[in-house]
Amino acid sequence: MTTTAPQAGKPGRAKRGNVIGNTGLYVAVGIAALLFLVPFYLILRNALSTDPEITGENWKLLPSFQWGNIGELFDDTTVDFGRAMWNSTVIAVSMTVGTLLICSLAGYGLARIPYKHANKVFYAVLATLMVPTAVTFVPSFVLVSSLGWVDTYRGLIIPGLFSGFTCFLFRQYFLGFPRELEEAARVDGLGYWGAYWRIVVPNSLNFFAAIATITFISGWNAFLWPLVIGQDPGSWTVQVALSSYMTNQTVNFHLIFMATAISILPLVFVFLFLQRWLVQGIAQTGIKG
Amino acid sequence: MSTTTTRGVSRPAPAKAQRARPRRALRGSPTFNFWLFTGPFLIGLVIFVFVPIGWSIWLSFFDARFTVTPSKFIGFDNYTSMLENSNFTGSLVTFTVFAALIVPLTWALSLGLALLVHRLRFMRAFFRSVFFLPTAVSYVAAALIWKMSVFTGVRFGLMNTVLGWFGVDNIAYLSDPNPPWYWLVIVTVRLWLQAGFYMILFLAALQNIPPELYEAAAIDGARPGWQTFRYITLPQLRATSTAVILLLLIAAYQAFDEFFNIITTRATWGQTPLMVLYKTALGENQDYGAGSAGAVILTLLICVVTLFQGKIMGFGRGEESQ
Amino acid sequence: MSAMSNSNFSRRSLFRAAAGMAAAGTLAACGSNNGRGGGSGSGKQLVQYFHAYGEAGTEQAIKRYAAAYKDAHVRTSWITGSNFEAKLFAALLTKQAPDVFEFHPQIQLVKSGQVADLSDLIDPVKSDFNQADITSHTVDGKIYGVRMIDDPQFFFYRKSMLAKAKVEVPTTLDELIEAAAKLTTDKVKGVYLGNDLTAVINPLIWSAGADTLTADNKPAFHTDAVVAGMKQLRQLFTSGHLLLDAPADYWDPSAIDQGLCAIQFSGMWAMPAMQKALGDDLGIFPFPKVGSAGKLSVYNGGWSMFVNAKGKNVDAAKEYVKWLWIEQKKYQEDWATSYGFHIPPRTSIAQSATKLHSGLPAEGVKLFNTYGHFDNIGWTQAMITAVQDAFANSVRKNGDPDAALTTAEKKVDAELKKLFG
Repeated sequence: MTTTAPQAGKPGRAKRGNVIGNTGLYVAVGIAALLFLVPFYLILRNALSTDPEITGENWKLLPSFQWGNIGELFDDTTVDFGRAMWNSTVIAVSMTVGTLLICSLAGYGLARIPYKHANKVFYAVLATLMVPTAVTFVPSFVLVSSLGWVDTYRGLIIPGLFSGFTCFLFRQYFLGFPRELEEAARVDGLGYWGAYWRIVVPNSLNFFAAIATITFISGWNAFLWPLVIGQDPGSWTVQVALSSYMTNQTVNFHLIFMATAISILPLVFVFLFLQRWLVQGIAQTGIKG
Repeated sequence: MSTTTTRGVSRPAPAKAQRARPRRALRGSPTFNFWLFTGPFLIGLVIFVFVPIGWSIWLSFFDARFTVTPSKFIGFDNYTSMLENSNFTGSLVTFTVFAALIVPLTWALSLGLALLVHRLRFMRAFFRSVFFLPTAVSYVAAALIWKMSVFTGVRFGLMNTVLGWFGVDNIAYLSDPNPPWYWLVIVTVRLWLQAGFYMILFLAALQNIPPELYEAAAIDGARPGWQTFRYITLPQLRATSTAVILLLLIAAYQAFDEFFNIITTRATWGQTPLMVLYKTALGENQDYGAGSAGAVILTLLICVVTLFQGKIMGFGRGEESQ
Repeated sequence: MSAMSNSNFSRRSLFRAAAGMAAAGTLAACGSNNGRGGGSGSGKQLVQYFHAYGEAGTEQAIKRYAAAYKDAHVRTSWITGSNFEAKLFAALLTKQAPDVFEFHPQIQLVKSGQVADLSDLIDPVKSDFNQADITSHTVDGKIYGVRMIDDPQFFFYRKSMLAKAKVEVPTTLDELIEAAAKLTTDKVKGVYLGNDLTAVINPLIWSAGADTLTADNKPAFHTDAVVAGMKQLRQLFTSGHLLLDAPADYWDPSAIDQGLCAIQFSGMWAMPAMQKALGDDLGIFPFPKVGSAGKLSVYNGGWSMFVNAKGKNVDAAKEYVKWLWIEQKKYQEDWATSYGFHIPPRTSIAQSATKLHSGLPAEGVKLFNTYGHFDNIGWTQAMITAVQDAFANSVRKNGDPDAALTTAEKKVDAELKKLFG
């Protein structure tokens, strides 16, 4: 992917200047990188310290590596962090699967199936993009609560599945999907449905992976909706649990930061292993968004 | 595979290109298939987006305190009370200040990082990952780090520790709004979280700039550095820049998580529109009427602003020139 | 914090005991994913909401009492975080509303028919209650909540630090400001009033000789003395002698325990933890006089049990409240004195609670009886918020207190009109 020559921008540069320039460049990047890593350092330091070490009069650079803090976190009953992790996992995974299924189908329908009112439908979808979902949370809460879905997985997951934005992204993507592949499928006698599942989806896995990654991250990190719907601690997600730590009656620094560290862990894995799709997905979706 | 996926020009589908084959009436019928494909999504969209919006508009004309099925019609009272509510109007100012700070700063930082990383020859993937990694962190977690460790007002916060080395007294970043240090906290946390994301966008765009342009510029005598940046790189990034700014604005408009978690309770400043709505509708009054009226006002505002901005920046046109 | 680690062992074993019940509760509630509709037929299901008390063992205690109740299965929602009111009010609106919840007496809950009349429960033992606690829960002769605990709030101070700085215990707000200046060093701040100062609003109003509402429900907080007090508070706020942005708020003992401040405003509940951390190096005093006509004051906060009148099991919920908060005196005493210190609203229990009869706790009880002001049921959450906004705008932000109180007065008037016509 990154085959463009990095020095393309400065062809006429003298070699000496290059060395100095490069050193300066790496110093600048290095400092920026260190600054970006400071918060991660703080999480790990605090997570593995005792409270007196954190609140002491002098800054302790390295923690005393209290691995027992992990066990203490999951033993603590004030906030059931294990349950919150489980809730977040269920929610993020189901949202990812559901959104991919529902929005990709709709995106394909809007992009490729000729129907005389398709454009009107598309504009109706576009219109919902103008109203950010976050602004509709008051009426959405009203609706979901009258359905009796407060504190349930249904209430936490289902309203988030119908993302106009994701549908829009899929539509844009399918517009660029090579028509020849579908033509071949139709010659083989496949209908829209068959062509979609046998030809279009298998040839679009990269894009699906990209959207899946982004959806998973936003599902895991979502806060406002889980805060509103998760009234009962049993239905709290990781983010709501973290937020409650901050305003809790008793502040336990080491537990709070251990919780933070653990809440970030799944996403760091996603980043390490799926970065290729993620970067690609962002590059595409962002530009088109 | 990547060749098929990296393109995708946004042009409406030519509706006539495909003609339905009449072999199997239903399975091949485009109309049937259209609804088959889009039906589930559209049903959900109606239930979870259109109905709430409609309900909200309806509620906004009623006295709906502690209830969502009100009976007392009060006309525009909720609207006037929201517009007279200094917390609500103040939140619009907060949003404007926030956008004016965060949009240019993120734009500049992410572009700067992209330019730096783009020029790297060794360890480029490493540095890209480092800058990108904060994207994995939620706003809540980041707010927690900022509030409880970086900008804690007591002596063991990171910033106050560092300042303490230079003999500066502890600063209460959040409790005391004069001077408004809370903006430093709020802006840096978002900057850290989102700069890497937009850097990726700029990196992708930088890689798409044809090298010949730079060669031609060199032949024309443009000096590398500022001149090439000003006359080649920046214009080539115009479409991306426009998109980035729009995305940043939308994101700033929806800001809630970090404000909710960082700004101390019972503060009357640093309230974003969403926080005010949250407090109005779900706070001590449970005033769904006023909350809904606020939501309607915000929606109208964002429509106007988006249309206006679309006009000014010509969003969408820049893309096709690429 | 130190209280937490010191009592770790007992906490663990208690946890084990409670965990089983809690697990059973969560499974029952979440397994079917339809909330607690509870149509299973096997006994009544009740849900009770509590805000998260900071003292170790409190959650286990509440669950232990609930488990001992035979006539219904009671599930406890322990709401951590600072927005208990928001969570509670939102939950009350839904189908999964709690049947029983703790809150403060506020008339809008009565007017909207949200809380059930509990007179028949309380009447037989009415004389055993602190009469102020009965008054504060009564509307038109009916009693709507059972007081569980009374929580006087006052200042705690480190005797050694005051002695070292040669500071007398302040009796006026001016003296408090002076004391703060003398007590501040480069590691320790003089005074801590909580991060948002909301805790001292009512005491300041009372200490200035004013009140929240008059007896006939008119705003009474906008007086010259209160305005002057707010200006003084602003002076303290900007002096650099006030601890701000502490990680734990005023209700938590950690600021004074960790040596971040010499004087901290807090409540009686935090006393055991402070005594554990600081030993005898601890004293208390009421909110000092504000202005020449000022009086010492103590805010007698606390928590009460209410029954959700719109719930599905009103009668079962009332039975449960009667059983636990009227009949089970052992549990009531345990709740008031075994974790944090609270004053039992029942005279008979207060007499048997020996922990409160000597030393610092006894001084706390004395402050409670001498200077205490109780909740006014007409003073609702919306009014509280209005006055809090006024303080935020003028004490923390540099606004004009007079104008801020005028705005608050308007909002309070509008609320009063809605409530009393």
